[in-house]
Amino acid sequence: MVLTAARRGHLVTAALLLPALLFLAVCFVVPMAVLFKLSVTAEEGPLSAYGEILGNWVYLRVFWNTLVVAVVVTAISVVLAYPTAHLLTRLKGWALTLAVYGVLFPLWISVLIRTFSWILLLEKNGPVNRVLVGAGLVDGPVQFLFNNTGVLIGMVHVLLPYAILPIYANMLRIDLRLLLASDGLAASPWMTFRRVYLPLTMPGVGAGAVFVFLLSLGFFITPALLGGISNLTVAMLIELMVNERLVWSLAAAASFLLLAAIAALLALATRFVPLGAVLEAR
Amino acid sequence: METRGIGFRLAVHGLGSAVLAFLILPIFAVVPASFNHGTFIRIPPERWSLRWYGRFFADSEWLSSLATSLEVAAIATVLSVAIGTAAALGLARLGGQLRAALTGLIVAPMIVPVIVTAVSLYYVGRYWGLTGTLLGLAVAHVLMCLPFVVLNVGVSLRSLDPSWLRAAEGLGASPVRVFLTVTLPTILPGLFGGAVFSLITSFDEVVMSIFLAGVGAKTLPVKMWETVRLEFSPVLSVASCLLIVLTVALFALFRLASRREAS
Repeated sequence: MVLTAARRGHLVTAALLLPALLFLAVCFVVPMAVLFKLSVTAEEGPLSAYGEILGNWVYLRVFWNTLVVAVVVTAISVVLAYPTAHLLTRLKGWALTLAVYGVLFPLWISVLIRTFSWILLLEKNGPVNRVLVGAGLVDGPVQFLFNNTGVLIGMVHVLLPYAILPIYANMLRIDLRLLLASDGLAASPWMTFRRVYLPLTMPGVGAGAVFVFLLSLGFFITPALLGGISNLTVAMLIELMVNERLVWSLAAAASFLLLAAIAALLALATRFVPLGAVLEAR
Repeated sequence: METRGIGFRLAVHGLGSAVLAFLILPIFAVVPASFNHGTFIRIPPERWSLRWYGRFFADSEWLSSLATSLEVAAIATVLSVAIGTAAALGLARLGGQLRAALTGLIVAPMIVPVIVTAVSLYYVGRYWGLTGTLLGLAVAHVLMCLPFVVLNVGVSLRSLDPSWLRAAEGLGASPVRVFLTVTLPTILPGLFGGAVFSLITSFDEVVMSIFLAGVGAKTLPVKMWETVRLEFSPVLSVASCLLIVLTVALFALFRLASRREAS
């Protein structure tokens, strides 16, 4: 049988894609499907694992704490990212190169190392506390670690680049003549910022906020090391269920509740924020 | 922004610079920490010494974890580059919705929280004999590395003019020859970038690794994770410094190579 050119083309395309798709099917789709099946096959009925999590205040508090941490981390990250992104648009030459590397460099250092550094800096006798006590700003060492303060500092540090990059990309695309026009129409600098610049940068702010929020919902390493046992996050809860309590159906249900929240948010976000367009601009 | 207020501008630039310092400087706390002489980490050290570097390189557990990290990263990178490059070439031949859907599948492990992927792989991995093996760790890392390869090669493929392929074919070149002489040189920068990002991703990966590692296969970050939960030993800052040096070296290599490519 002689293959037509089009047929042969399709075969080549399929052959090129096959290894990756087969790998993803076996090592990603199947495990996720097994985990999902695990979440709906508890002895007490198909939805009992979900019921146990949603009906228990201890678990609900973990979900609530995760949400609160994610919201606060997102808010702080966006507020800090905005002026930083603006500074980047004003820099040129070596200063710009240095600043861009400053934003990108942390992304390539292991989260574990960045978190460990914060432990060293924030511990009771660490440099931060020594400076604070030495300057007379506090009476005794501040307890930064093993509570939400440490978690917030560590997570903002890890996630800030994800807020800065889309806002920066957005700011670069703004036509500066619009600002001159506003200026020429005798608007005050504040007015120009609030009525022209800020609205034009909102897509970037939205994309940055979505990235940081989604990433912080599933965060594990930083809260596990800097947080305390009294403020668990969902990721820490899943790890506890698997490694300490060996309750797989609950771990699976918690995983899919987390995943459902992320999927819902992503679906909602793509309706308001052009995530793809912002990513492309990178 | 044309602001006339010099104070406002100073405030924005001051805050921006402070944030940049906040991003970079804390990471380097592990550097002075690694030169402590005492058993407790003090920054800056009261007495500087290389004692803990000596301890790291004399400890067979730390050394074997470093070796495992290198092996896993090598396997994961080779696998990712091989199947990722093929996938990127395949995706470029597709159109519209199918292409978007398959790209979504490949990128999905970046969006699904790593803890969820790790737990699911750990569960099936126990039955498949993947836990505690080099292959199991490498497979988990490929999930995280693959998107980087596919996206990087995909971007460099965009600069490939389809007419070059037709020209090469028209001149009688075989498909293999067309690939080797036209396609491959064009995607080489993307391929190289994907490989470097894969290596770095694999070296740095913690969450998947702590679930899939075992006595037989433990990467450096896993050994660090186990140690940090027990004690804040200065050996940890030595391991951190080594990982930072490794990452920076790889990144510098990549920049150097891509600069040569550009010129």
